[in-house]
Order: sequence, then C-alpha cells, then structure tokens
Amino acid sequence: MNNTFKIAKWEVMRNLTNKQFIIGLLLTPLIMIAFIAFPILIERFNKPADVVYQVVDQVGILPLLQDMMPEHITLKPSSDQAAAEKLVQEGEADGYLLLEPQFLSTGHAQLYYDSSNQEVFGALSSALTLVLQQQRLAESQLEQAQLAYLTQAAFLESIAIDEADAPNFHKITVSAVAIVVIYILIFSSGSMLMMSALQERRDRMAEVILSSVRASDLMRGKIIGHFLLGVIQLTFWTALALPAVIYFTDFPVMEALAAANLPLILFFGLLGYLLIAALFIGVGATMEDVQQAGNSQGLVIMLPALAFLFVGPVIQNPNGAVSQFASYFPFTSWVIIIIRDAFSALPTWQIGLSGAILIATTILISLMAAKIFRVGMLMYGKNATPREIIKWLRYKER
Amino acid sequence: MNLLEVREITKNYGDKTVVDQISFEAQAGQILGLLGPNGAGKTTAIRMIMDITVPDSGEIWFTADGNRTAGVPRHAIGYLPEERGLYRDAKIVPLLVFLAGLKGVEPETARRRALEWLERFELQNYANAKVEQLSKGMAQKVQFIAAVLHEPKFIVLDEPFSGLDPVNQELIKTEIRNLAARGAVVLLSSHQMNIVEELCDQIFLIHRGQKVVSGTLRQIKESYGNFRVYIETEAGIEQFTKLPGVADVNRLSESRWMLNLQDGTAPAKFMKAVPDSVQIDELQIMRPSLHDIFVKVATGGENQ
Repeated sequence: MNNTFKIAKWEVMRNLTNKQFIIGLLLTPLIMIAFIAFPILIERFNKPADVVYQVVDQVGILPLLQDMMPEHITLKPSSDQAAAEKLVQEGEADGYLLLEPQFLSTGHAQLYYDSSNQEVFGALSSALTLVLQQQRLAESQLEQAQLAYLTQAAFLESIAIDEADAPNFHKITVSAVAIVVIYILIFSSGSMLMMSALQERRDRMAEVILSSVRASDLMRGKIIGHFLLGVIQLTFWTALALPAVIYFTDFPVMEALAAANLPLILFFGLLGYLLIAALFIGVGATMEDVQQAGNSQGLVIMLPALAFLFVGPVIQNPNGAVSQFASYFPFTSWVIIIIRDAFSALPTWQIGLSGAILIATTILISLMAAKIFRVGMLMYGKNATPREIIKWLRYKER
Repeated sequence: MNLLEVREITKNYGDKTVVDQISFEAQAGQILGLLGPNGAGKTTAIRMIMDITVPDSGEIWFTADGNRTAGVPRHAIGYLPEERGLYRDAKIVPLLVFLAGLKGVEPETARRRALEWLERFELQNYANAKVEQLSKGMAQKVQFIAAVLHEPKFIVLDEPFSGLDPVNQELIKTEIRNLAARGAVVLLSSHQMNIVEELCDQIFLIHRGQKVVSGTLRQIKESYGNFRVYIETEAGIEQFTKLPGVADVNRLSESRWMLNLQDGTAPAKFMKAVPDSVQIDELQIMRPSLHDIFVKVATGGENQ
C-alpha cells in the first residue's frame, strides 16, 4: 500500500508541475465560458434585418395583422396588386400579401415575394390563422364570455400521492450536474490515466518501476493518483463556477444540495469512475501509441458513453423494461440509477442489487486489467491484438 | 556464501520454452556475466530473477543479512534494463528521489546521494534539468545512478555500455568494480566481449534458453580448448606447418598467420619444436577469445 501511495503522489506532483496540465486547468473554464457566451453573442449580433411587406387588404384586417408581427416586419397598405408589385420591383418592399374579399370564407391568401423568407411566411401564416378564427367566431355572434368559455385550455395538475415520489426540481438539477461532473472526471482523468500507462511503455520506464513495485501497486497508484488529479481539477473549477452561479442566477445551491441524494450519487459515481478507470488503464497498457489504437480499443474507450443512449427512454418510462435493464447493466447502471433516483424514489432492493452487480463487475474488470497491465507493460514496440490480450488473460501466475 | 541461488528456472510462452532449467549461483562481490545471442532468453531470465515475471518452475533464493528468502526482495534489486528510458518530462533529482523512494530510501538521503552521484559523473549542473534536456550518454549515466542509488545488494546491468564513449565506459567500469567491492552481486549482460572478459569473475553463457557453458573465464577458455598461435614472419609458413601438434593454418595477410594447435598440445611443447634458425618478427600464443567462443556457440551451438 505504501508503494501505491508513492506512485499516486508522484503522478499527482508530476502533473501539477506540468505545463500542459496547468494550461488545461486554466483553459477549460475559459472554453466553458466561451461555449455559454458564444450563443448569446450570436443572438445579439444576428439581429434579423428589417423587412417591409405590402398588403393588398381587401378584407380590412391589416391593423390586426400588424399588431401580431415582430418589430422588424413592417406591413404597409397598398391600393391594388399592381401598385404593390411596382414597389417590390423598385426595391421599396420585399414582397406583398394579397388578401382577397373571399379570404374569410376560403381561408386562402397569397404571399408574393422577391426572395424567400421563412420567418415572414411563418409569422404571417400563424397571424392569419388566428385572425381567421377570431373573425369566424365573431361571425357566430357569441358573447365575449361565451367565446372565452369555448376557447379555454384545460389545466392538468399532477400530484404525487406519496410526497417522496414527487419530482423535485432541485434534486433533478443536482443529479444532472453530478452526472456531467462524473463524465468530465472520467473523460479527463480517465484519458490521462490511459496516456500515463501508455507513456510508461513509450518512455521505457515500465521495467525499472516493476523491478521496484508490483504491477498491481503501480496500477492502483496510477488510478488513485489520477483520481486525485481529477478531484483537484473539479475542485478548482467548482471554486470558480459556484460564486458565478450564486451571483448571476438565483438558483438556491445549498437548498438543492440538501434535497439531493448525495450518498447515492457519490457511491455510484465513484464506482463508475473506478470501473471505467480500470478499463482505460487496461487498454492503455495494450497500446504503443494512440494513433494506432485498433477498433477494439476504440470501442472500449466509447463504452462510458453508452449510458447516453438510455437517458431518453429512462426519463420517459422510468420503470419500463429498458430502464430495468440499464439499471442493472454495470456499464450504464451508475448513470441510470442516479437519474431514476432523481425522478422518483427507488426501492432499496433495486439500488442494492444494482450496486452489488456494479461492485462485482468493477472487481472483475480490475483483476483483468491488472493481468493485462502486468504483461502489457513489458511489451514494447507494438499495439496488442485482441488475440494476444486473451492469451495474456489466460496466463496463470503462481 | 552464496548471495544468489537460481535453481532450474523455466519459463514457457505458449508451447515455446524461452528459458529451460537454468541454474547458477553468485557470491557477494562477484561480477557475473550473463551472455547469449539475441533471443537466447537472457531478458526473460533476468525478469524472472527480479520477479517481474514468474517462472513456471524452479526456485530463486537470496541471502541478505543472514536471512535466506525465496526470491530477491525488490528493495535489494538495482536494475538497468536494456530497453531504457526515463520520464522525459521529469526533473532529474526529483525523479531519482522518487525511484529510490520506491526502494524505501528516505527522500533526504536519496537527494544527498543523488547529488553525490551526479557530481561523480560530472552532471551536477543538470540536477534541476529535465530528462529531455540530456544527451543520450548523460541520460544513460542518470539511469545508472537510478539503478544503484539505493545501494542494492543485487545489481542487474543489461548492456550498460552501449552508446557510451570510451571515457564514460571507463567511468562505468570503475563504478561496477566499486559496487562489487562493496559486496554486491553484479549480473552483467553485454555483447561487448572485451568488457565482459575484463570485468567478469564468472561467465554464464546461454543459447536457446539453455545453459551452454559456465565458469570462470579461464575455465571456459580451457573447456573451449586448443591454443592458437599468431605468427608474423617473412620466412614462409612451411617451416611451421610441419611442426608436431599443429592442426591447421589460416593466412591473415601477406606475412601474418594464425595456427590452431591440436587439443592437448601444450604451448611449451610447440615452442620447443620451433627450430632456432627460423626468423620470427612477432609471435603470440593464446586461448581463443570470449568473442570467438561466443560466435562458435551462437553459430554452431557447439556444446563441449
């Protein structure tokens, strides 16, 4: 255990003093801010251009229509079709709408345009529909109160019988954020872990290290070290993000944390991380360089993303067959259980069973990874084929 | 007293036997040369002795401070592998302290010793440099320091001289002798036969996973037999070929010849038979070199 700790400490210290790591640490929040800021900026700079449409209004609804248009769409009256068309040709207008007297009975109108504008078409179409309905209802000579009564929308209220089953917005938010955080941890520190196993071979250090420590100690040390690095990264980013969230939004952070099922999130999150870490380090030990990673290695790297496929179906039907499967399948369960628990309280036995399967799988994968690691670390010069890896798994150690 | 005892270790990969029942012993202070052609099983044997890979059968015993243990304890091993490297982005002293720390040396002690060694190898100005800033020769010296910083009892050096200039080769040779003189067993694997002849007390030659020959240099040369005679003369070789005990003649150049004597022919007997009148410019009588024995074993696999 002592050597495990020394390896972990070395990995942490080496990365903390590494320029690339520090740049990544500082750059990631900037990239995140850019991702949030960019759409806002685009929105601001991409204001729609002002357009003018002539309306040949033989019905008398132009004022109603203009009221329903957004600011940048101006509707102007034209006496007849020829006058409107002239203005379009002169460049004074972008097109014209022809409303003939029979519009109220046929519901039919024509939009002539110079260049197609989907937004104007959509806005006019829905405005016309609304006006048509209002006019027709008015023709039926109903009272205003009757009109309101006829057009009233239904209100469906959902009430959980057991308070614990009620979806808690705060709980869902914290769970969603937790899943994102776990994924960041897995992909950043997991890929660093893989690179670190790979680097051990690339720099030809594996033999020297293995003459000092057992392969299992080296592997454990690396997993713990990179987990700590991930936690350091996340703590740093959280320290930056939390004040921003509190300052710019009125989301009640502490209240939400209190509502969330933190022990469950920590338990499944940590196990999920350990499972994926063991997978990644095992794969890293079979590769000489990333560019030459084979299909099988690529598939394993994609495995953590598998849970994404299940998120939609699980939210739609939290107790369906797909949800049940995804709750016990160890490569998705650590995400799915957190999601399901956020939406409705789960029976304890389900959580227990899922946890037990996840623990067993994590142990199994770790043992396999340790075997692969032990042999793979000493294989210089090439990426291992799946056949070789299976052979390594069969080697018996006394 | 034997520090290291290796008893019939064997390793198979699939149905290929890479190391086949190898046994040897080494005493404190000995430098043992482990020789063999490429692919003979040297690296696998070394890895088994160091418990990096586990033998399929056989035993390894190690005695330190009066305790005899199965296998060599990891802290007692110093290893310079043939495939070598260092973490490129690491700084030299912290790296040396880390590696010694894995062997149980306290950071302060390791730092002090590292600085001493760097000074001895004239690398003191690089103490805070990164590995990637070192030349190949410098990196190799740092690797040597890493292998011996924790003062191991059992030191394995796999091709420690490859890529070193003659000055640095001498430096490393001196340090290897010092380490042995302080009571360590040094297991040296190298293809540079002249250096092996110079340094090693015992030699162990393997081929295709099996022991071919072992013993002191003299024993091996004796077992690999006959003397050879190098002659430089303008007189013509016929006068020598007729002498008793000469097996065959090889012409090296216009006036230089190599005679192989028959098995059991003593040099003195040959010399007595040389007529007084023969003009000799130069004459050497010698055993075959380790190089010759190695080539003989590697090409013919001859086992006497």
